[in-house]
This record gives sequence, C-alpha cells and structure tokens, in this order.
Amino acid sequence: MSLSSQIRRKVLQTTKNLSSTDVTTVNRNPRNLELLQFSYKPSGYHLEKPGRCFWNKLQLNVSGRYVKAAIQHYKSDVVVKADTSEWAIRKQLFRTTDRTAFVNLARVFAHRCHAAGISEMYCDVQGAEGSKVEAFLKTLEENGIVLSEPERIKPDGL
Amino acid sequence: MFVIKNIQNSKKFTPLVVSTRNGHRMRGKAPAIARNLTQRLEEEFQVDKEIEHQVNIGFPALRISRSDKLKERLAHIKAQRKNPDLEKKSRSGQLFIDLQQVEQDSQNTTAPHNLRLIAEHYGIFRDLFKDAYFVPRISMDIKYQVEDIEVPVYNGNIIQPSEAKSAPLVNFNGTVDPVTSKMNNETSYWTLLATNPDCHLGGGEQEYLHWFVSNIPNGNIAQGETIASYIQPFPAKGLGYQRVVFILYKQNSKIDFSNLKLDNENTGEERLFSTRNFYKQFQDEITPAGLSFFQSAWDKTLTELYHNVLNMKEPTFAYNHPSPYRADQQWFPLKKPFNLYMDKYRDEKQIGKEFLEKKLAKTNPFDGPEAPLRYPNAHYYEKNTPSWLQFELKKERLGLGRMSKYVD
Repeated sequence: MSLSSQIRRKVLQTTKNLSSTDVTTVNRNPRNLELLQFSYKPSGYHLEKPGRCFWNKLQLNVSGRYVKAAIQHYKSDVVVKADTSEWAIRKQLFRTTDRTAFVNLARVFAHRCHAAGISEMYCDVQGAEGSKVEAFLKTLEENGIVLSEPERIKPDGL
Repeated sequence: MFVIKNIQNSKKFTPLVVSTRNGHRMRGKAPAIARNLTQRLEEEFQVDKEIEHQVNIGFPALRISRSDKLKERLAHIKAQRKNPDLEKKSRSGQLFIDLQQVEQDSQNTTAPHNLRLIAEHYGIFRDLFKDAYFVPRISMDIKYQVEDIEVPVYNGNIIQPSEAKSAPLVNFNGTVDPVTSKMNNETSYWTLLATNPDCHLGGGEQEYLHWFVSNIPNGNIAQGETIASYIQPFPAKGLGYQRVVFILYKQNSKIDFSNLKLDNENTGEERLFSTRNFYKQFQDEITPAGLSFFQSAWDKTLTELYHNVLNMKEPTFAYNHPSPYRADQQWFPLKKPFNLYMDKYRDEKQIGKEFLEKKLAKTNPFDGPEAPLRYPNAHYYEKNTPSWLQFELKKERLGLGRMSKYVD
C-alpha cells in the first residue's frame, strides 16, 4: 500500500486509554477519502477530450440485444453492474432493449448503487430528447442517484 | 532546408535534392517504440501474481447442466413473448419489474460474484483475511430496527451509529446446503461475526469485535450462543467512514468457543480481534458462506456513548493532507524566479514571521496601523529598483499574495 493511499489522521485530543497525547492513526477503508472528498481525483490529460476526471463513472453500453449499465472506478475498474442479459432481470422483461428495459434496468441499477454505498457518480452519457437513454438517466435520478460528483477538497496551497 | 541544384545545360531535368534538418532533436523514444503513460504506470505498479495470489476459502459453486438450464429459460422466454398482457404493458411503458424478485433470483446467479467484486473494492478480504477471499453463497438479510423503520445492511451502504444502536435482525436460510441448495437432514450450525477493521485508534491492524454469535442452529440467531454481545459502531469524530463487516461461517459441527468469551464487555482492548487468526485457528471446522457490510461515520449521539458506556474522553481527529511534492533543491536553478524558488525551500514559519514583523514595524502601538494608501499603484519606485522587487512592493501595497494574511 503506497503512503498516499493511506489515510493519516492526527489526534487533537487525547483519550484515556492512549498513552501518547499525539497519535496518528490510519483509517484503512479505501473508500473513506472519496466519501470525505479528500481523495486524489485524476484530472485527465491536457490534449484529451474530458472524461477522466472522476472517482466513479457511469457506463452505459447499448448493444443490439442487451443494455449494460456499470460503475467504473478510476482505479479498480467495474464495481457495480447490471444488465438486461442477466437472467434475474430478463426473466421479467418482454424485450431486452426497449424503453421498458431501459427504465427497469435503471431501477435495478439504482438499487444496486445505493446498496454499494455509491449514490453520486460522474456521467458523460447524453441521451437525445425523448430517447431511451434519456429515460434511463431520468429514472436513475428519480431513484436518488446524483449524476455528478462533488469537487475534491484540496489542501491549502494546491 | 532544401538545396536544389538545377543543371540547366543538360537535356534532362535532374534535380539534386539534399535534405538537412537543422535545430531539431528527437525527444524521447520514437512514437512506435515509446510506451504511453498508462503503460508506464502499469509497469511501475505491477503486482507479482505469485506473491499476491489469493486463495479461495469459500464454498465452490455447483455446476448445473447448461443444457437443462437453457431449456428451462428458453421455455420461459417463449411463454413471455406469447403473453399479450406483458406485451401491452411493456409497449405502453407500464411494466415495472419486481425488484425484490430480481434480488432473490440473482442470488442464484450473479449476486454472489457481484458481492465479491464490491467487497474487493472496499478492501474487505485484504483487511480481514490478507491473502484469501470467498464468494458469499448464502445471502443474509440484516436489518436494523429503528422505531418503525427498517434499515437494511447491504454491501457498503451508509448507516448512522444512531440507527445501529441495538443488535440487528438477521435472517438467513440455515437449513440448506450452501453448495447444493438442498435441505439438510441434520441440524447445521453457523457462526456470525461482526468486526470493524478501521476502529483501531492506535493505528494497528487488529479489528474491533462488535458481535459474535456461535452455534446458531439452522439459522435461528436467538438460539445461538453469544460469545460477545452486540455493541454499536462508534467511529471517532473526524476519522471518516468505517466498515462494519458481518461474516457468516458454516460450522461442520458444534464448536466450543467458550475460551473466546469476553469477561468485561465494554472495555476496548478486550474486543480487539483478528479475523485472520480466528480463521487460522478454526479453518478445519468453519467455512465462510455469507458477507454483508455497511459504512458508518461519527454522529452527535456518540458523545454520550463515549462518556457513559466506554468511560473515555471522546477522541477527535483531523485529516492530515499529504504534503505537496517538492523537488530537491538545485544548486543552479535555471530559468526560475530566484526569490520564489528560494522561498520554496525556506521554513514557512520563518517567512511568516518576517511578514508579521514587517507589518508590526508599520504599526504604532498607540495609533494603530498606518492608513492604507489611497492609490497603491500610483507610487514612485526608487531609482534602480529591480523588476522583481517592484513586483514584491506592488503585492505588498495591494495586500496580495502572502501579504494578504497580514492585512487587516
């Protein structure tokens, strides 16, 4: 584990059980800094089109037969996923690519995101007005998913 | 530069082309050979697969005949496609699938793998077992009862400490075999452990034990043997989000855990626990089968718990930002503004002191500070003042830059 990924915290007040008055402790939860908005966030490359500046990013993959939604993390790739080819979802659908499939996929995906503790994500998917993709994004928002990420809180002097 | 020599006398036109390149130097390797940043970073942070190899300590998946499964599914899809009601609903956008049913169905297909994926994302296996993992085959239904509201524990959702005050209701199907999903004839025994890998205030790697119930017959928690009673999560102020991980183990038989029983249940050190050591000790008799976890951060209700139950002062932490990168100082820094460059390597406190002294020198103890300049930019610089000093004076007069901290 590199030092930068560790969380270093400093005791301001001492506790009764701790002998030292000035203790540094590490919260090993790898997602903690992202939730506190302190974590490093890649800023992308200068000459590239934007789309790399995120902790979690929504991916929507529409193919001829199925629709796949996933959360991509900048470090650990796909974290949460749902797609209409999954038997549990497909079982209840009439078709796997129609508007209903998009809406229902969004409902399942939103539930899984909340269950995984991720309710905010970067999104560069854009749907034309009245399109299925727009219905998907709208359903996500209706189910409490925020399609943008907060800014990183930077230390003084950065 | 092209030099074209035209020999006019000859009948044929034969230009003599000599090409030269001036003032150009190849920087780095050629584009086809050089690797891009992603590749270079990948190489730098490469992990040795032999060292990082993880062992599967869970139950294996039962392989069902693919053709049987497919036949069943195709028949179901065929029936769906012939269902006019469903088609009508689907086409009119009125079809809303049952999310609970989806959750239930996915338990036999994709959910265990998805859960393993998200658990790895949260570093659960790394921090609890170090070099082992498992695919959770048994789904647990854990719910905290807060008055009339039920707060479920999934895999990483955030639950306030005030909501997790009393032990949750845990339900799982303990009568079936985790591999074959068939009913057991005999009584099966289970162990439920709730630990927190982020709670060690001394910064150690040990976990904090929140709950330990063993010998649960057929998934009936109430009849289990409580080794450590439930204690709510109490993340310290400023320390951020902690993980509380519920792991369900299947026992081969009844096990006597009485030597692990806690005497004084509220002291902190008694509850330090290591899942890895625990598993090491009992690995022949227990197999992890279920996983669930939530995240929790400090809230106001914890102050009372620290003072009255844990009998300690409430610890408060603050985040220490990693210091920004500073390259080693050069003897001859070329093309760098010397004053700013030198300041970069000086003691911050000393620089601050100088600015404060400069301010205090202009402050009369009785009359207070000097009146601010009416037109700060319209003042004469002494003859032969270098441009860098003019700039510094300008910032000082305008109260910009470092001076801004000392302007009233």
